[in-house]
Amino acid sequence: MLKMTHLSKVYRTEVVETYALRDFNIDVKEGEFVAVTGPSGSGKTTFLTIAGLLETFSGGEYHLDGIEVSNLNDNARSKIRNEKIGFIFQAFNLIPDLNVFDNIEVPLRYRGMKAAERKQRIMDSLERVGLASRAKHYPAELSGGQQQRVAIARALAGSPRLLLADEPTGNLDTQMARGVLELLEDIHREGATIVMVTHDPELAARAQRNVHIIDGQVVDLSEDPRFHAAHAAVADEAHG
Amino acid sequence: MNIQIRPILTALRRHKAGTLLIALQIALTLAIVCNALFIIHQRLTNLSVTSGVDEANVFVIANMWGDVGQSTAQVDAQVRADLLALRQLPAALDATPASGYPLRGGGWDNFVTMTPDQTKPTTDAAVYTGDEHFIGTLGLRLVAGRNFHPDEVMVMGTQQAITPSTAIVSKALADRLFPDGNALGKSFYAMGTTPSTIVGIVDPLHRQGVDQWSNGYAGQALIWPLRADDSRGIYYIVRAKPGQLADAMREAPKALYAQSRLRIIDPKDGIQDYATIRHKVYDRDRGLAILMGIISVVLLAITAAGIVGLTSFWVGQRRKQIGVRRALGARQRDILAYFLTENFLISATGVVLGAVLAIAFNLWTVTRFEMDRMSMAYVGAGVLVLLLLGQGATFAPALRASRVSPVEATRSV
Repeated sequence: MLKMTHLSKVYRTEVVETYALRDFNIDVKEGEFVAVTGPSGSGKTTFLTIAGLLETFSGGEYHLDGIEVSNLNDNARSKIRNEKIGFIFQAFNLIPDLNVFDNIEVPLRYRGMKAAERKQRIMDSLERVGLASRAKHYPAELSGGQQQRVAIARALAGSPRLLLADEPTGNLDTQMARGVLELLEDIHREGATIVMVTHDPELAARAQRNVHIIDGQVVDLSEDPRFHAAHAAVADEAHG
Repeated sequence: MNIQIRPILTALRRHKAGTLLIALQIALTLAIVCNALFIIHQRLTNLSVTSGVDEANVFVIANMWGDVGQSTAQVDAQVRADLLALRQLPAALDATPASGYPLRGGGWDNFVTMTPDQTKPTTDAAVYTGDEHFIGTLGLRLVAGRNFHPDEVMVMGTQQAITPSTAIVSKALADRLFPDGNALGKSFYAMGTTPSTIVGIVDPLHRQGVDQWSNGYAGQALIWPLRADDSRGIYYIVRAKPGQLADAMREAPKALYAQSRLRIIDPKDGIQDYATIRHKVYDRDRGLAILMGIISVVLLAITAAGIVGLTSFWVGQRRKQIGVRRALGARQRDILAYFLTENFLISATGVVLGAVLAIAFNLWTVTRFEMDRMSMAYVGAGVLVLLLLGQGATFAPALRASRVSPVEATRSV
């Protein structure tokens, strides 16, 4: 589904080159729920923006759903973002001037979908996140957890092949975060491929697989005691 | 391209102040610019009006008598002597006395009736007086009938009112008085109870005034065979031989002063060729057209600046939102179309309101200042100009918006 090989991302100024990602390799299979962790500045967000075709990379290869994306023009990248990828952002990124219905409709309109089908998909996805009654509400009228659920509904409405989540619970309190996470787990159980960037080891432990990034490279976590401790805590919570 | 009218309208409803201000600015600009364009066009049309005079070769001398106590007979003798001298100038073709001349800027007008006891006039006409040389000197085109005979020319002294029994009229006046044609030989009344019989028709012959209110009968004029020997002064109209206008204008005052020094011909504007006469009489029209043009350009520039300013502000304010849209699949041209559509909707509201205002303003000027009704073509042109201006002014900031990277969606404010 998502395969990056020897990928690099370099930010260049006149005097210095900074590698955000260096010899970066990752392979996410269809149906996986992968958590990408790492300290601040490690390259997690850069990985996510490249994975979501929000920005280009400097070298290497990136195949998304079998398509080599490095040579695609802006229109083709927009089309892939629209049809194959669903984004869930830390700050929800709902459009404040549009109500819930219209927010979810945004990517469907860019796909050129007919109004009746748009409406059906929007209502289905709102049902899925339990917010069908809030279709006419504006983002400012919803709690943080509800806004994130709307953002998930927006991501789901287009039936994407891949869900990319950037710290999806970062702006939520514990209870709301738990609700959102359970929703993501449900979605994964239904067969979705999810890549979630987080700096929270507990959250990462809920994922099927973890990828750790340090200094722009994927590292093996099997030697890291924090990872095992987090896993143990999650297991305790499940049993208790 | 993906046009999203309903969501754009929804979003605009949440930015009422900026939206309404720009729409109102567009409306006012349209209302003013439409009427300004109409006035400019009217005034520019005036500048090219046909006088009927051979303007390239004709000039006018404003002759004031030094001795205002002369009798009518003395004045007439002097006028005859002056005319003889002017006609004998090597560079002159002909000369005539006159009480006024076309495009003078105002002069003698009379109501015209078909019967002596008619209380409501049939129409209005400019009145010219001159002798049998009047038509030839001005270079008027006689399209029917004949010129005056020398023995028809009467003498009219200071503050006398004489109505000659014959007249030559302009075709526009003949058609107004006798719409069925055959005006020749028929009579009208323009002063007192003495009828004047039409013996000739010239076409065209513009009236002396060029005011907006008289546009409806600008070509209606009559010529009476009169030497108006006013003791205060008289106009001499002289037609130079082709190519000898400057010579004739230089020699004419010398010839007149040689006849008598008891006269005043203002060295500054006592002798004027028709280029000068036309320039002077339309000075106000030209000035008004320029003023209206400047006002229109300034208003359009302010409106364009307002649109650029508001759109730039909105683009800056929505940078993150644009990034989100791009992340969700909007192409660059979708973002460009979004802002152009948004401006179109605001501008469309503005021009609809502006069109109503423009028509209302014109109707007010029609009733208040007797101006003409504005053609709807001006409103249509104004609407088109404002819509194009709006799209043009939006394009640069909208293009900047379309270049916002989708990665902007991941930035934390």
